[in-house]
Amino acid sequence: MIRYAKPKNVDEALALLSDGPWRILAGGTDFYPALGNRPLSENVLDINGLSELRGIAEVGSHIVVGARTTWTDIIRRDLPAAFDGLKLAAREVGSVQIQNRASIAGNLCNASPAADGVPPLLTLGAEVELRSASLTRHLPLEDFILGNRRTALQPGEMVTAIRIPKSATAGTSAFVKLGARRYLVISIAMAAARIVVEDGIVAEAAVAVGSCSLVAKRLTGLEAALRGLPIGPALAETVAATSLPELAPIDDVRGTAEYRREAAREIVTRAVLAASGHHPLTKVAA
Amino acid sequence: MSSEIAFPSPQHRRHGSSAGQPLTRRDGVLKVTGRATYAADNHPEGMLYAVTAVSSIARGRVTALDVEAAKAHPGVVEVLTPANRPPLSHDPDDKIPPFGFRVEVLQDDTVRYVNQPIALVIAETLEAATEGAALLNPQYEVESARTGLENGERFDTPAVGVGAPSRTAYGDIDAGLAAAVRVTEADYVTPPQYHNAMEPHAVVAQWDGDRVTLDMPNQALALSCAAYAAYFGIPAGNVLIRSPFLGGGFGSKAILNGPQILAILAARMLDRPVKLALTRAQMYGPVGHRGQTWQKLRLGTDGEGRLTALHHHVLAATSSFDEFMEPAANASLPLYASPAILAEHDGLRLDTGTPGPMRAPGEASGSAVLEVAMDEAAIACGMDPLEFRLANYAETEPGTGKPFSSKSLRECYAEGAKRFGWSGRPLEPRRMRDENGFLVGWGMGTAVFHCPHFPAEARATLRADGTALVETAGADMGQGAWTALAQIAAEALGLDPDQVELHSGISSLPDGGIAGGSGHTASAGLALHNAGVDAIARLAELATADPASPLFGAGNIGVEARSGRLHRRDDEGRSESYSEILARAGQAEVVGTAKAARDPAVAEAHALFSHGAVFAEVKVDPDLGQVRVTRLVGAFAAGRIINPRLVRSQYFGGMIWGISFALQEEAVTDRRTGRIMNADLAEYHVPVNADVPSLDAILIPEDDPYVNPLGVKGVGEIGITGTVGAIANAVWHATGVRVRHFPIRLEDLLVNQRDVTSAFGN
Ligand SMILES: Cc1cc2nc3c(=O)[nH]c(=O)nc-3n(C[C@H](O)[C@H](O)[C@H](O)COP(=O)(O)OP(=O)(O)OC[C@H]3O[C@@H](n4cnc5c(N)ncnc54)[C@H](O)[C@@H]3O)c2cc1C
Repeated sequence: MIRYAKPKNVDEALALLSDGPWRILAGGTDFYPALGNRPLSENVLDINGLSELRGIAEVGSHIVVGARTTWTDIIRRDLPAAFDGLKLAAREVGSVQIQNRASIAGNLCNASPAADGVPPLLTLGAEVELRSASLTRHLPLEDFILGNRRTALQPGEMVTAIRIPKSATAGTSAFVKLGARRYLVISIAMAAARIVVEDGIVAEAAVAVGSCSLVAKRLTGLEAALRGLPIGPALAETVAATSLPELAPIDDVRGTAEYRREAAREIVTRAVLAASGHHPLTKVAA
Repeated sequence: MSSEIAFPSPQHRRHGSSAGQPLTRRDGVLKVTGRATYAADNHPEGMLYAVTAVSSIARGRVTALDVEAAKAHPGVVEVLTPANRPPLSHDPDDKIPPFGFRVEVLQDDTVRYVNQPIALVIAETLEAATEGAALLNPQYEVESARTGLENGERFDTPAVGVGAPSRTAYGDIDAGLAAAVRVTEADYVTPPQYHNAMEPHAVVAQWDGDRVTLDMPNQALALSCAAYAAYFGIPAGNVLIRSPFLGGGFGSKAILNGPQILAILAARMLDRPVKLALTRAQMYGPVGHRGQTWQKLRLGTDGEGRLTALHHHVLAATSSFDEFMEPAANASLPLYASPAILAEHDGLRLDTGTPGPMRAPGEASGSAVLEVAMDEAAIACGMDPLEFRLANYAETEPGTGKPFSSKSLRECYAEGAKRFGWSGRPLEPRRMRDENGFLVGWGMGTAVFHCPHFPAEARATLRADGTALVETAGADMGQGAWTALAQIAAEALGLDPDQVELHSGISSLPDGGIAGGSGHTASAGLALHNAGVDAIARLAELATADPASPLFGAGNIGVEARSGRLHRRDDEGRSESYSEILARAGQAEVVGTAKAARDPAVAEAHALFSHGAVFAEVKVDPDLGQVRVTRLVGAFAAGRIINPRLVRSQYFGGMIWGISFALQEEAVTDRRTGRIMNADLAEYHVPVNADVPSLDAILIPEDDPYVNPLGVKGVGEIGITGTVGAIANAVWHATGVRVRHFPIRLEDLLVNQRDVTSAFGN
């Protein structure tokens, strides 16, 4: 017989985790589809009773997003403009019904290359708080998601929060999702950008792309190329001219690798322009 | 007693009738409050659950199944495999006319497609049956899958669709092409598509001796009863199908399939009720789909842009073991005037489930391509696409020369173009941009659909309280049949629709024909109309023969039924209510019955079609290739409209399906395994609301004195035709890129990356 437990607080949850293997159940929006019509074969630790893991708070030098915080919670919460990209991504996760159920930690732990939450969180320098009964550790998001469906989560651990250093919350951000229909669609590619502008010059740039590699990636070469540029056409020109070695897309039913490569550059341009104050759609093509 | 009273009958007049009113659906409240019970909601006592184990290979043999492991699982009651499957009275490899298909019911160990049933596990719970099916752990002898043009097996086919000729020739096509100033020739591909009705195929089967009750969604009750009766060796009257509600069918629920037959067989074998409901993934195989086509169009035109030849060749996919294929080329037969028309088909055998009729079978894929080819030919002639179609307007049916029973296509073109604003359209592509830099394009297509009529029967009972019960075994798939049929009956009975109770969707009622071919309203509707007229005639006999009635002696002059009363035709003031007539006659009710069918002479003398014109605007993102259909305007003429609200909804549904066909729907096959890679609604895309623009469906008035006595044509499928081509043509007009496959994908349209300046005029 498998076990089912619904602890009331984090300590109880961690104690349970320390005494055997469990599958964690949050919003269930990845958990159940992944199950298909197979029966549950692992113990289920339902974390939906852990109210302390839901919500967004300022804690010292960080903005801390509880693991169970839903996409709707994020959309509704007043946050600095650097979170605009994350909010835009939140609005594009599935549908409203999904956004009401689904949690931010679930999106990261599921580790899909197409997880919409990852690129904006990468541009926010997010780190993942992992706790076990004996240890708390903080891993940069880059080091947490290791591959397709693979994370650094250790036995006995759970994600308790996503932490965003306040130092990474300057500027404005944007998110562009590319799908084959308007809504309720898995991303062909998505891009997030956070730009800090000082005196009309890019002081800081954080850009990330998802669905074009096993794990969403920061485009560090491009970020360096953007820094110091004046806001204006130079940004788009630079995106066009800079090589993006991080992109390693594949062919699948959603799109060809070749298309992804071209389209990714375009949505990166739009995200960068939008984050630097240009509306992404108001573009006069040549 | 049945009657076949000619229309218009003496007792009946159209004015002030309940038909023509935009009533909301009678079943709407039941559905939105969750009280409508669908087949799988039925749970008779002692019911078992059946789950099919399905093949994961496309071709080969099952060499081993671990039946012991499955049977050992707690709750598993029985496992059906080819080794122990009880006999059927009809050979499943032999088709039952007129719409029969070969079915896979464990007759042997061969595998013919992915998701074919290879065993049926029956258990006390769904979970146990599912686990039992998983424990079977099939082993296969695998043969390579034939998945496309490169490895499919070509063959000559005598028939396409449901018994349509595979080759139809009018005039001399070679002479027509030789005489042409220009020949426009191109190849096109349409993809495999799956019906994906929201409600999966399901059955709850319950035997009582040699009688069986089947709760199942079904579009063809009487035919299905006869077919099940053949499989189970019992009289058709012993099969009761209850199908009050369907969550969509689109053709896939008109045809028997293997899993359902197996579940019924299991119920008999185990002498307990058995329920089976397919999963979404299992619907990609045994329950039909729209087969892939490869089409070639050759259009010869003269110096004035008139067709000299229209050649439509289709290579259509079917399964390795049956024949149904899209009669796509036949879409070129009824529409454009040409001295020479050749429509022909070849077959291609693939290791898939057998295709079947799917909303606008043949017409959808054939019209999609024909309308694009017409656009290409118009451009080659330097003509506006609408002007080009008008230059090739068929005044009589092309080829046969038969007059149309009615045809208001000119009005459709004119009204649609006006509402859309077509006249401002630049001829060249890539001339329009919106304020955000998106490329804007306008395209159009002609819609056409035939008007079949299925024999049907009905009964109408006038009751002592002045209300009526009308009955026919029809099917409401969500289209609103209950409502429209009740309106027709109410009109014939001179009652308000609220006073008419409609029983439908149960096979023990008079045969309501098939809900298919867009012919249900006409077919079942005419039967109900005739039954209503018959009931009124009987009531009139009672009244006019009764000296105590104010209508006494009016037999020769006649009476009229209106608002629950019979009125003397020549004296409005002399009337009597139905209840008064029945009460005095001491009768609880009068019953009218009728059979209705098409008059073969009328059908022979006329070409019977609905028509329409669809205009589309798209906006294309030049850097991402994303297409937004921003406006769709359709104008349709389909005879008399019984319920404009429901009809508009049918047109909308068809037009949205057109968006889906043009831009989204496609089952993608893994060439190595023959598996469908997107067998779920997350990856098999249909439009979401946000993909659907403002839709406009204009109802063009049309009086058809011939198509049937009601003047009703069909509206269920025509909306797809025309729309697909209109969108594809608008995409060309926006971008200058001519995409010749469906769906048009984003990667086809990265137009800023390409030189398309030479695209115009080629
Ligand atoms: C219809 C539909 C549409 C969708 N559309 C999108 C989309 O557009 N974009 C997108 O990115 N995603 C989409 N998703 C996926 C999903 O909704 C998101 O990934 C969501 O954020 C997952 O959160 P959850 O709370 O439901 O996670 P769950 O399903 O509960 O869990 C997901 C995984 O994470 C693990 N887990 C959850 N919480 C923790 C924790 N605190 N610590 C350790 N492990 C944990 C679980 O064990 C499980 O392995 C869609 C899903 C559906 C069903």
